[in-house]
Amino acid sequence: MASSQHVLLSPAELAYLHASLSLTPPIRPDGRSPTQFRPLVAETGILPGTNGSARICFADGTEAIVGVKAEVERTRTRHDFPSLDESAEDDDDLDDNQNDVVKGDNDWVEMTVEIPGYRDDDAGTVFLSAMLSEALLADGEFTKRLWINQRFHWKLYLDILLISPPLSYPLPLLSLTTHLALLAARLPRLKSEGDEDPLFDDDWAAAPYLYPRPSEKGSKATAPAPAARPPVTLLVMAVGNNIIFDPSKEELAVADVALAVSVGESSSSTTSTTSSKPTAMDIDTEETKGHNLRLLSVRTIDPPSRLTPPGIPNASNSAYGANAGAKDTEKKKQQQEQARTAESEAVEGVWKAPRGGAKTLVMATMVQKVLEKGGVADEVLDALDGVDLN
Amino acid sequence: MADRRRINGPVGTTNPPIYDDAPEKQSEGVKVARSRPANVIRRMYLKTGVTPSASGSAYLEIESSGNGGSGLKLSCSVHGPRALPRSTPFSPHIILSTHVKFAPFATKQRRGYIRDPIERDLGTHLETALRGSIIADRWPKSGVDIIISIVEGEQDRETSKAQGIEAWDTMNALSGCITVASAALADAGIDCVDTVAGGVAALVQDAGDDAAPSIVVDPIPSEHEKVLAACCIAYLPTRQEVTNLWFKGDLPASDMDVYTQLIEKGIQASKSANRVLVDCLNETVG
Repeated sequence: MASSQHVLLSPAELAYLHASLSLTPPIRPDGRSPTQFRPLVAETGILPGTNGSARICFADGTEAIVGVKAEVERTRTRHDFPSLDESAEDDDDLDDNQNDVVKGDNDWVEMTVEIPGYRDDDAGTVFLSAMLSEALLADGEFTKRLWINQRFHWKLYLDILLISPPLSYPLPLLSLTTHLALLAARLPRLKSEGDEDPLFDDDWAAAPYLYPRPSEKGSKATAPAPAARPPVTLLVMAVGNNIIFDPSKEELAVADVALAVSVGESSSSTTSTTSSKPTAMDIDTEETKGHNLRLLSVRTIDPPSRLTPPGIPNASNSAYGANAGAKDTEKKKQQQEQARTAESEAVEGVWKAPRGGAKTLVMATMVQKVLEKGGVADEVLDALDGVDLN
Repeated sequence: MADRRRINGPVGTTNPPIYDDAPEKQSEGVKVARSRPANVIRRMYLKTGVTPSASGSAYLEIESSGNGGSGLKLSCSVHGPRALPRSTPFSPHIILSTHVKFAPFATKQRRGYIRDPIERDLGTHLETALRGSIIADRWPKSGVDIIISIVEGEQDRETSKAQGIEAWDTMNALSGCITVASAALADAGIDCVDTVAGGVAALVQDAGDDAAPSIVVDPIPSEHEKVLAACCIAYLPTRQEVTNLWFKGDLPASDMDVYTQLIEKGIQASKSANRVLVDCLNETVG
């Protein structure tokens, strides 16, 4: 499994790492602050044969490529869709109707994750792709973008390739690369109207973006879906009460709990339209500045720390005379009891794989740190704004 | 040259005719609304020791909804702990492997014999939930297999053809899997810090325009107009810790209170399931 790959650290090293990460403020091995991300190189539009593509390279040498390909597919008619003749009857309110009719299906998106050295049906790989597609499909708005007319839709293939060996848990890398590829993705401009067989414009320069840019007002008006940007999945871990973002492999090896938090953003203009939706009851406060974040999914990730080898305290180590001279049974019994407490109680400076789960308070704080105003998700989205989309 | 001796079907695919009567029935309000209070889970039946050949096993059945659908029926068997084969590298802990499989006939859509991504994903969630509760370092160099077959999935005859409901059903399935696996682990005598149980809570919107969204535990998606968000939680009651959290939905970031409440309700559902689990285990011992 991708998250629990073997970490070659001794119990003593793990104990040291755990102690330094649980200080206030935590001291990370690479000197970053708790919320700081690793530096990365990003570019988009690297694959001319795709509808959108991106590449991100992290400073630790992990690198991922994502290609987005779209195909036109015939929509299977379902009987719970409004029937065709119904909308044809009142041609004059067709425009009003059209927005209601736009429907998406989760089958229209197919995501594959390829990680070198792992089978594609490996549990970790499946988990990664389930997590990424879950975030993308969570609000149900994304698939509406793929709607062409009542008879046809786009089928979107998202192929995520990790081209370096997985040196750290690749989730943030894959998620950021997918985000950029979707932002850069364009679909040919539709020339046909209504429910005709779709006919597209040859001019690639006229192709609208899948996620319209805020500057392109014209295309935004026709776009049915409100979500302004694809989701981003962030990896957060906690050691003691310290919350640490974008952990490296070594840091993850001592995590008490690790969470993957997916955050989306809906454009501020749509808050007024969705106010009929009950969840938007207190978004009336207009936020023109900053991002309008939405929480899409949270998943616990099995931290590899549970699989690390434990250290042995001196009290129960025979090399330090733990069992020496235990001739009489009385003494032996006492020592066994001591060994039992040593097994269950933490000894200062001796590494022990974490047992049990995480406190709810710590988990809630982790999610809150991601979502709060000016928090990490805001920062990441701002940083991604700086990537040149060509 | 076409084959003229036989009457061939048309080239290409055709859709079977579907008669258009079901949606009208739905609009008439045939749907059964939730009759339980918002914070009460469905009744469940749990029994351990159902598979004699396994070292531990359990069977869980959850009451079906009022819409004439099927309830959830799960059977879990635990094999092990047993020694790992010589070829595997040394492990200081017990190695868990979890298999969750829907029976081919468990859901409306037939499932194949090979596990599909949803089943693998459920298996990973289950592994995370259980690994937190097992005291893994008491069994070095050994492995345990936890196999769950979902004999009958939770699906309503009327409404499962509507879209997006299956996605929410997986959460209910996962919470059942966690509870039944925990019972089977206890039956196998594998040391755990506590019995872990699964609970689901959802933010739902009921029919009616002005109805405010409310939080219910153990939701049946077909009983509500729309499920806005849901979470599945695996909780250790005596340690007050969460071993697995799976949240899915669409919540504005300004609504952190709703998120916190949802988690709390999930924990409450998990505690209720745990009571059943503990009663069942006590019965076996006593």
